[in-house]
Amino acid sequence: MRSEEEARRAIEQYSDLVRRLCMIHLKNHSDTEDIFQTVFLKYVLSSASFESPEHEKAWFIRVTINACKDLLKSFFRKHTVSLDEVLDQPAPLEDRHREVLEAVLSLPPTYKDVVYLHYYEGYTAPEIGHILGKNVNTIYTLLNRARHMLKETLGGDTGE
Amino acid sequence: MNDTLKEAFGQIRAEQALKETTLSYLQQKTQGYRHAPAASYYRPLLSLAACLILVVCLCLWRAWFTLVSVISIAINPSLELDLNRFDRVISVEGYNEDGQALANSLSIQYLNYQDALEAILNSETVADCLARQELLSIAVVDDDAQRQQALLAGVQSCAAGHGQSHCYAADTTALEDAHHAGLSYGKYQAYLELLALDPDITPQQVQTMTIREIRQLIDDLTDSNPNPQEESSGTSGQGVGPSGQENGQGEGHHYGQEGGHHYGRS
Repeated sequence: MRSEEEARRAIEQYSDLVRRLCMIHLKNHSDTEDIFQTVFLKYVLSSASFESPEHEKAWFIRVTINACKDLLKSFFRKHTVSLDEVLDQPAPLEDRHREVLEAVLSLPPTYKDVVYLHYYEGYTAPEIGHILGKNVNTIYTLLNRARHMLKETLGGDTGE
Repeated sequence: MNDTLKEAFGQIRAEQALKETTLSYLQQKTQGYRHAPAASYYRPLLSLAACLILVVCLCLWRAWFTLVSVISIAINPSLELDLNRFDRVISVEGYNEDGQALANSLSIQYLNYQDALEAILNSETVADCLARQELLSIAVVDDDAQRQQALLAGVQSCAAGHGQSHCYAADTTALEDAHHAGLSYGKYQAYLELLALDPDITPQQVQTMTIREIRQLIDDLTDSNPNPQEESSGTSGQGVGPSGQENGQGEGHHYGQEGGHHYGRS
């Protein structure tokens, strides 16, 4: 089992990452809280040793996405919620940010992870394919389609 | 657009309260980072227990719905009660129109066989038949001799005081033959006796006759038959069918007030 210090460091380092993935997948704050507890407890109990910070980060991405998917399959979860609640933040979002995030959230579920990992985390298609366990060509296709959809919604240049 | 997306995602941050709640949760779950949550130890046990409960439920379900014994009732309504190993009625089947009508009119499924039998004997249809001095034939079929005797004793005690009745044990093979002929066991035995005297008689003709009518026909044919050897030797004194199962079981047959049939009030 990992120490309290390791847990604090991981929370400081990866909580924003986990929070953004939760925003992409989940519908309300209590589900986000569940995912935080699940992911970080799994980390504390995990005996896995990470070769590098990148390896550790990829582990958090994979575990968070899987935990979100498991929760979405759960019968007891809350099914519907407004976008305002999804994008609920201590500091209100500016309209332009809200518009962009709403466009991303309106994408089909398979596209959202890819968009986030590519556009925010800066991963390449092969890296995303490795993290998500998907074929690289599939990632290219998803990125391409997502780009077109975002362009239609938001307008403007959505190039690489 | 890349910058816009990056900037927008950058606005989403984990709230301080969320981080603190998570830290408290970890502290509590690991008892100060000393022990893994107990749930991780007993979860496999819970899964195993759930599997065992499921298996037990499946076994009980199977045992409950497995046919073990049959009580075949023939008077004019002919019907059979299928019993499970708990002596409960799992299905009721009518073997002629009256039998089907009676089976449909009664709510005896899952009742103990004695309660079900009481309900049948007290039903208007059967009570009318008994009032007309019709003969009631009740056969008990079970592969287990001990169970069969216990069921027979129960059936006999139910039938006592319900007019002329004949309760006896029977075997599974003969029951299958009876079903193949579309008759209840009791009526099938009477049919076989009749068939020995009148080879032209068909199960369809017998289906609508009452046991008393069949018996009457047997008696008439026996009286007019110059060769008594043709009559089944087993019917004499024992009232047994061709299967011979009933011989030597000592349950007694109450058929016949004359000749080889000892019909009478039991």
